[in-house]
Amino acid sequence: MREFVVQVSFALYAAITLGGAVWAVTAKSLVRALLGLTISLMGVAALYVLIAAPFVALMQILIYVGAVVVLIFFAVMLTRAQSEVEEEGPKDVRRLWRSGAAGIGIAGLLAAACLKHGPTLTREAVEISPAKLGEVFMGTYVLGFEAISVVLFAAMAGAVLLAFQRRKGR
Amino acid sequence: MTDFIPGELIRLAVALVALMGFIAANGMMLLYVERKVAGHVQRRPGPFEVGPHGLYQALADAGKLVGKQLATPSGADALLFWTAPLMAFMPVPLMFIAMPFGENLWGLDTNLGLVLILSFAGFNVLALCLAGWASNNKWSLLGASRAVAQAVAYEIPLLLSVLAIALMTGSLDLRVLASSQGGWPWQWNVAVQPLAFFIYFVCAVAETNRAPFDLPEAESELTAGVHTEYSGMGNGIIFLAEYANMLVVSCVATVLFLGGAQGPFMPGPWWFLAKMYALVTLIIFMRWTYPRVRFDQLLNLNWRWLMPLALANLVLTAFLTKLFGGA
Repeated sequence: MREFVVQVSFALYAAITLGGAVWAVTAKSLVRALLGLTISLMGVAALYVLIAAPFVALMQILIYVGAVVVLIFFAVMLTRAQSEVEEEGPKDVRRLWRSGAAGIGIAGLLAAACLKHGPTLTREAVEISPAKLGEVFMGTYVLGFEAISVVLFAAMAGAVLLAFQRRKGR
Repeated sequence: MTDFIPGELIRLAVALVALMGFIAANGMMLLYVERKVAGHVQRRPGPFEVGPHGLYQALADAGKLVGKQLATPSGADALLFWTAPLMAFMPVPLMFIAMPFGENLWGLDTNLGLVLILSFAGFNVLALCLAGWASNNKWSLLGASRAVAQAVAYEIPLLLSVLAIALMTGSLDLRVLASSQGGWPWQWNVAVQPLAFFIYFVCAVAETNRAPFDLPEAESELTAGVHTEYSGMGNGIIFLAEYANMLVVSCVATVLFLGGAQGPFMPGPWWFLAKMYALVTLIIFMRWTYPRVRFDQLLNLNWRWLMPLALANLVLTAFLTKLFGGA
């Protein structure tokens, strides 16, 4: 019975994730697409909860929904706000087929690789405490952790530089 | 069958329903308290003359909100327009779910309570964005950008001040954070971390859009913000979410800084509620006492004072914790 509940919730969360993603791609207005993206990200967070990683799930919500989506929203708002009508062109059926085939092809490849070489599934997922997570970040994976911070710093410095240059140009 | 519906799920459902009731009751009550305090401070006749002790005024306010027609502005994206208030309110019960109202009174057993609250608080910003955009109105859009600039700015020192407490205690579990403090006021975290409490309180007032930081609303001077186009319960739900957020930040302050459900005698939920309502009353009093800040003052205060102070406090806390081996 427990397994059944897990299967049903996985199906539900996967449907939310994929549905949000499809809406994000097909929506006519950019802001609606953004809402679809948010739903998709929430679905991913739910999937994290399902594999007993609530910390990662909450970080997903905190960072993606709380920060990244708002940032994208501002980008949408500040760039081409009135061009929504232009984007709504006639549907190109052949292009739809091609992009769909490409997407399904990549997804299938990834799924095949995961099924063939993925880690063996165990019945019970064990939750890892944030303290343990911190120890691992500061011990085994310290190089990767530091590299991420360098990348983020470079991105932030670049953003500041771009903003300054534009202001000077005006 | 007991395996099919786990006990934890039933507990969660009951907790959510109870919390919804708690929020709704508090919304009504705070509406009345707010008008009453406003009446006392600014000599407003309404909340004193309508019914016994002005009780009918709250009912009249509620009736007015419910009775108004729900109008969608022409040319607006109706779906997004009505999603925004729901998105503002939806995460609120979830923020309460890990709150330790007493030693054994909480909804969800998690050791990540603090992260849970902080992550769901981020939804409010997105809701403001959507509301401003979908209203198809330049005032709303400008109001939304004002509100989001404020919310994003004040979130950072708030996080940093909360992080100092988490570092000191060595836990993200709200129950551990609350029970690590003693019963008497000098055993609370506010005695050890007065600066963090001050920063948290200022940021919390700003995050909930309360005066003197109520620029997102500013009904009289700035022609209101994101709520301009919302009528009736659309506006009502946004305001209910605001009141509920006020409760959330007061609860978090109680847990982190004021010892939660601990008290000098008879520890229990009543201490928690007493501390929480004292903070809520303080916030309400502040609204009717102080004039509103200007927008440049608002951002200066945050980026030039609160941010460096919070950072310094965090570094000092980390240093002292390492030195004296707190957790």
